Amino acid sequence: MTQQQWLESLLSQGFHRMGQIEIRRAPDDSDSFWLCHEDDREILSGQAPPPEHFLVTENPYDARDISTYSAEQEYRFTKGQTNLRGGWLMKVKGTVQLLAALDAFYPACFGLWVAQKRGTLEVQTLRDKLNRQTGMYRFARSISDEGAQALVQQVCGPAHQCAKKILWKIDENTPLDDSEASRFNGISSGLSEPQAIPLLCREACNHFVAECRKASKREFEAKAAASS
Amino acid sequence: MHFSLFIISLMSIAPKPNAALFIAGHGSTENPDSSVPYFEHADEIRRRGLFAEVHCIFWKEEPSFREAWYLTDCEEIYVVPDFISEGYFTQDVIPRELELTGPTTLVRGKTIHYCAPVGIHPSMTQLLLRRAQEVAPDVDPAQTSLIVVGHGTNLNANSTKAIKDQCEQLRQTGYAFVLDAYMEEQPFIADWHEYTSTPNVVVVPFFIADGLHSYQDIPVLLGMESEVGAAASQREVFRHNPHELHGRKLYYSSAIGTERLIADVILDQIHDFDQQHLCHS
Repeated sequence: MTQQQWLESLLSQGFHRMGQIEIRRAPDDSDSFWLCHEDDREILSGQAPPPEHFLVTENPYDARDISTYSAEQEYRFTKGQTNLRGGWLMKVKGTVQLLAALDAFYPACFGLWVAQKRGTLEVQTLRDKLNRQTGMYRFARSISDEGAQALVQQVCGPAHQCAKKILWKIDENTPLDDSEASRFNGISSGLSEPQAIPLLCREACNHFVAECRKASKREFEAKAAASS
Repeated sequence: MHFSLFIISLMSIAPKPNAALFIAGHGSTENPDSSVPYFEHADEIRRRGLFAEVHCIFWKEEPSFREAWYLTDCEEIYVVPDFISEGYFTQDVIPRELELTGPTTLVRGKTIHYCAPVGIHPSMTQLLLRRAQEVAPDVDPAQTSLIVVGHGTNLNANSTKAIKDQCEQLRQTGYAFVLDAYMEEQPFIADWHEYTSTPNVVVVPFFIADGLHSYQDIPVLLGMESEVGAAASQREVFRHNPHELHGRKLYYSSAIGTERLIADVILDQIHDFDQQHLCHS
């Protein structure tokens, strides 16, 4: 099955939530879909027009602009953050445009979920990710396993605004320590599959890499201070 | 000036309704402006309906190069680096991340065509001219120096080749003087007033995205701003032309990559790839 066919199949089973996006068939056209922030979902009934201040768009690629900044004007450097702003209604035609919109809100996430179902999803360990960093991020690879484990609990998971399910390990032989972050199932709404699908984290994000660099530097400085 | 060069003489490519296009960029976890040009180039190419799908993939944003596989079911994919020069990212990072071994590679059942970066295509010359004319529409080219400014680094000789090649072409377009200059190697952009003697000077940054270099660093080096940070009002820095400095009129443009017609250069690179490697377009 293609990704589009997976999406159609999922919709027929009641799929209506991905991350913080609520998805419904348009009230007046069963081939079209309406999307909005999950907290605004009452507008999807179509019984009343959206409030005047709402952005209403038919362009699925407007998802990028909608998702770049939070309501507090913070840059959403990873799209799995749970601070997607509301106040918009997106009307798209067919599952091709719906998939484009979902990919713009949550890049590659639908494909990652399909790949997991197909058994073709490849996961990358943290060490593999860090060892490929260059330039100013080369130093990130020096972080200790203990430091990396601690960082997962300080940076990842819904407590730190990330709604993705972590699939990666520190290295092939070192799974993540048990924590709220490592246990999180990737569905921030609390719904179950197939009503919602998880956002999957197959490799540490670049924000995590940047934090590894900082932590690694702190470890280095602490060691230097202890030995002097 | 030879205005005929302003006509964007684009090579057309045949529609590829079963292929996907990946526009590969750097991206940033700090600055959302840095990826805006890539998305605009993708939007422009989507609008033309030439590919089944058009996606942006990044080194420092999502989706990452290694997540690219999960974006499409297309079995044929063109990858165009939206980079300004050949170098570490186009020759090492992207091939490594996408598991490419040559111009065309079969990976995981998909045929990947790896094109040259946009910055080295000859049609970039036309865009540089267009940008120079936009920023200083009323100047006489015969009384004007055109400076194309890049980053420059002593670590990679390739990094300045593209800019030198473009300037070589620009020297035939009617400007009194054309110079390639750099932030971190000679000739330094900070010395622009010593290299030029014309009453008008136009400076075009040879970068894909507007970021700290074009908002802050280069304006300081040019003398438009007194200190880094003063120009943090982002695009505002491009809106005060001309600047009266050293007895000249200095015109400063935004990065060349913010030109929407870079989309055409991406298509030109695909056209050239087909001509060189496939010969069936």
